[in-house]
Order: sequence, then C-alpha cells, then structure tokens
Amino acid sequence: MALARVDGVTYTYPGRERPALTDATFEVHPGELVCLLGASGSGKSTLMRALAGLVPHFHGGRFAGRVDVAGRDTRTIKPSDLAGTVASVFQDPEDQVVFTGVEHEVAFGLENIGVPPVEIHERAVEALDAMGAAHLAGRRTQDLSAGELQRVCVGSALALRPDLLLLDEPTSQLDPDAAEGLLDLLTALGCAVVISEQRPALPLERCDRVVFLEHGRVVIDATQAEGLCWLEETRPAFVAHESVHVGSDGDGATVCSVHSASHAYGDRIVRVPDIELRRGEIVALTGPNGSGKTTLAKLAAGLLEPVTGRVDRVGRASYLSQDPGRYVVAERVEEEVGLGVGGDLARARRALAAVDLDGYADRHPRDLSSGERERLGLASVLVTEPDLLVLDEPTRGVDPERKLVLAALLRSQAGSRATLVVTHDLVFAADVADRVVSVEPLREPVRA
Amino acid sequence: MSPVPAALLLAGVAAAALLADRTISVAVMVAVLLAVCSRAPRRRRWPYLLGTLTGAAMLFVFSPLFARYGGIVYWDGPSVPVIGRLDITSEELSYALFQSLRFAAVGLAFAAYALLLDHDRLLMAGGRLRRSVLAIALATRLVPTLERDAAGFVEALRGRGVAVEGVRGHARLVSPLVAGSLERSLNLAESMEARGFGRPGRTRAPSPPWTAWDRLAIVGAVAIVVAGALWL
Repeated sequence: MALARVDGVTYTYPGRERPALTDATFEVHPGELVCLLGASGSGKSTLMRALAGLVPHFHGGRFAGRVDVAGRDTRTIKPSDLAGTVASVFQDPEDQVVFTGVEHEVAFGLENIGVPPVEIHERAVEALDAMGAAHLAGRRTQDLSAGELQRVCVGSALALRPDLLLLDEPTSQLDPDAAEGLLDLLTALGCAVVISEQRPALPLERCDRVVFLEHGRVVIDATQAEGLCWLEETRPAFVAHESVHVGSDGDGATVCSVHSASHAYGDRIVRVPDIELRRGEIVALTGPNGSGKTTLAKLAAGLLEPVTGRVDRVGRASYLSQDPGRYVVAERVEEEVGLGVGGDLARARRALAAVDLDGYADRHPRDLSSGERERLGLASVLVTEPDLLVLDEPTRGVDPERKLVLAALLRSQAGSRATLVVTHDLVFAADVADRVVSVEPLREPVRA
Repeated sequence: MSPVPAALLLAGVAAAALLADRTISVAVMVAVLLAVCSRAPRRRRWPYLLGTLTGAAMLFVFSPLFARYGGIVYWDGPSVPVIGRLDITSEELSYALFQSLRFAAVGLAFAAYALLLDHDRLLMAGGRLRRSVLAIALATRLVPTLERDAAGFVEALRGRGVAVEGVRGHARLVSPLVAGSLERSLNLAESMEARGFGRPGRTRAPSPPWTAWDRLAIVGAVAIVVAGALWL
C-alpha cells in the first residue's frame, strides 16, 4: 500500500495564470527512495509542498485533485498536523532556522510534535551525530557556514523520525564527500525519501524510482533502471556524460596570483593555497566545506585583504557571490545588470541576452524564479567584461541542462579573461574547467 | 546564569536607571553595563555600543539647546525662528548629562540582553507566552540577520565594481533589505508550519535547574528597582 499518493493534482499559485502542477499523479511506497528530477521551475518544489500539505494550506491558490499521506487527505489536515509523519528540508537552509542555538534548533520540531521531554536531547544529539554534525551542537546557528547549516537542517528533519522525508536540494551546499555520506545515510534510514537534486548523479545511483517533471507534468515515473535509460535517451544532461572542451584562445598572461596569503576573520585566521590564474583559462576550485575556497576567491577578486602574503592582479575583477538572487538592488532587471557599467542599458541588454533573459528587461528582479535570478546574477558580472571573473557556486539551484549552457557560455568567453569557479559540483567542474584545483583545509586558528 | 534571571536583572537595572535621581548612581550603572557588554565578541558588540553611545551623545549635545532654565549661562547664542533663543546653562548641561546617562543605561541593558543572553532558553521559559516570546526572539535575531544581509548586498555590489559609500549609498540598500526580509519571513513561516509549530500538545525540552546565582539575580533585580526608587 502506498505511503503517499498524489492523484491528478493541478495547482496554480495565487496571482499566477499557468499551473505549477498539471494532473500530477504518482505514489511513494514505504521505505523507497524516489529521485525527483526536472528543470528549474518544472514543479518539483511545488510537488514536495503538496506532499507536506503546504500546498494549498500555506500558499493558497487553486488546487484540484487529491494528495493522501499515511491515509490522511491533505486537503482536510493541516501541515503542522502532518509534521512528524512528514519532514521537509527546503532549498535554502538560511531561511529555515528559528533558533540561535543548534541543539535548540533541532529540538524545535521534536517539541512541536510532542516528543516526551526526556527523549528530546537524546534524539537531537543522535540526529546531529548521524549528519556528522554532533560537534556543532553547542554552536550558534548564525556562526555556521552554509554547508554546516544544511547539515543541521537535515538533522532537524531526521530527528523527527518521519515516515516520509522530503528533501529539496539537500546537498546544494555540501562538498562531494558530505553529499555522498548523506545519500548513504538516506538509503539506510528505512523511511520513504523523496529527494530533488540538481546534482543527480548520487541520488540516481541509489534511488528505487525516478520521477521526472516537465512543466508541472509527471512525464516518467519508472524504476531506477528504466529511469536511467529514459534519461540517457531523452535528457542526457541529467546522467553522466563526456565533457567536451573547446580550447580557448587567451594569451596565457597571468591575470592574478595569490602567494602565501591568509585572511583574518576577527580572531580566526584562514590560510589559503597559492594559485595563479591566466587569461584564457578556466580554473575550478573544489574542496570540502570550510577549506577556505571562498576566502581564496574573495582574496583573488580583491574583496578581502590579505593579512600575510600577497595578491597581484591585473585589470578589473568581478565576483559573483553565492546565492546572488538574494542580493538584487534595482527595481528593473536591466537596471540591475546596468549597475556594474554605470547604467549603460544597451550593454545590460546584451548581457541579458547572453544568459537567455532577453525579454525580461522590464521585469522586477524579485518576480523572477530562483533559476532566472541566478542567471540575472551572472549577467550582472558578465556585463562588466572583467579581466578576472570569479564565480562562487554559480550552479546552486541550476538544473543540469542549464549548467551545460552555462559551461558553454563561460568557455565561449574564456579567451578574454581568467576565470575562477568555486564549486562543489564536480560534473560542472569537469565540463567547464581547464584545470581543477582541490583545496585542503589549511585553517590555523590564531587568537588576535 | 540562566537567561530568565539574567533578563530580569537587566530589566531591573534599566528600571532603576529610570527611577534614580542621582547622576553618579546612573553613571555607575552605565559603567557596569559597559563592562558586561564588553564580554561580547567585538564584531557583534560594536553596532549596539555605537548606536547607544551615539544616541546618548546626541541627547547630551542637543537637549540643552532646546531647554529653557537655569541661571548660570555658559553660552548665549542667537535667536532662531520657532525654537527661540539658543543658550546653554549649567543646569541644562547637568540635566542633559543625567538624561543621556539614563538613555545609555537602557540602551546598554538591551545590548547586553541581545548580545549575551541565550534567547532560545528564554523562549523555552516562556511557557504559555511562548508565541509572544518567540516573536520577540525572532525580532531580536532580525538585527544580526539584517546586518549580515546588508554585508551581503555590499559585497555583491563591490563584486561588480559598485562602491557603496556614504549615507546615500547605504540608503539605497534599505528597500532591498526590507524586501529580502519579507521573503525570508515567508520562507521561515512555511518552514515552521512544516515543522509542526502551532500544533496542540507540544512539549518542552527540560531546562537546567536554577542555581544559587540565578536566585540571587532575581533578588538583586527586585532590590535594585527598590533602591533606584528610594535611594539612588
């Protein structure tokens, strides 16, 4: 018998004309791992929300069809009453945190669902331990890195011991080892898991079923083997593929070099490895969470000053921060892009066209989808035509097909600049980079 | 110290500062609160200290200009339309010092609350008032969150070669900061709903029992309010 059943659900968000889900039908059985795939904006997150009862209860809108979870019709039961049976981890860990202390954060859900007080501490610690985050229990949530926060959020969901675990891009901030550890843990949990990922290789290896959404419709719901065959034939970007590099025509001159550098964050000093970036070359910087990749990237771009060593740079550097969609300032898309070039809207429109956002120039940036906002962020730095382009996790939330387009775009422009890409996405790194530099933790805590 | 007695003690000091009549008493409270706030990490404490001390300094500088009393005139300035004659007297300066110290004491008590208390445990102690205390805890967290978001905006703009300088440069971040906060609050509300917030039958993780210091702090909070009203 199915644990959850989505039956002919058509759903439209308030104020929207096009439905986010159209006649979606599928089932989740106890203990199975379902890999939910699709392009950005295809309805994956909405389907997760429907399974958690948040659609329509929290979001409103027009809802038709039926969702049953553990025998309960979500139209008649509130999402808070489903908590415990269902646990959700949303895309952005920063927006899910209620408390200041990590252990209290994990305990929050347990208290809400009425777990006996004597069990709360034990279950919170157990869940953090399972996520390899037991050492974070006494830390403040606002002092955690994005990867650490993501572990805490997944731990908060695991602590509930749900029958159905809904994970929306749970590894987007995790390094490959941590992501693999999480997937191993999920397969051993025993509860049903629906996981949506834009780095689908790991979940596809371990899942029982593959569900693919396109424009809100379930286009395939198949076993792992059938799903993989279907993906290889119809959506090859979602499965392993050969990287095809087109050589760039840069002059190879050094644009930036970082030598024996370190930076102080208050009383903590982070040392970074040496690196040299040459025109015409794309370098991917990979490594575990907390290894100093972002520090190195910001030092190279001139956003941080070294306390030791030296950073030499030639020409203009532009830096695209993590989660750029959050940091939009202007009221119109083209104005946002034009900020970096003194308001030159003609250049802004050309940059928008390069990332397939032509036609969006007059829209408000916050009306764009998350994937569109990521591309807007990219256009905002490409428009500056820098000598050094630094991109920090540019593929977070970007679907595999769009990543290939992004890689092709960066490669086509590589000759005019040096490019440094910080990423946990090893497939993207292989697609885009001429050279991959792996950073190992060199952190050396020093009291100022 | 447990957060509830600590919060009551800080509230007691703030109330005593408002009730006290002597400048030296309030000055001592300000000094003690400054010492307490200095225990917070430098990176976190400076916005609170800067805000409080700047506010107190402005009160001290401007309030004598608008006051009208005292016989010992230090400065006799021009007459300004609407406001009248500007002058500064000894009594006005004394009163301004007293009021600015009161302002500083209340501000520093809040700073100590925001910087040093475990708001999570305070929230858990809220019992039936949990929803109200949760709102306060989330509002308290808003300040560091906005601070971090503002830093993110500045960094994102600097990454494109756009300098954020001066009052005008920072002022244009206000609207996107508010819009970002609204987005964040919606996401947080959704997450809380999915995690069972508001469901009947909730429990509470056990809190550590109060120590002798906690009981002493409660007595101290009452004592300092009484002392502030009667003797200080």
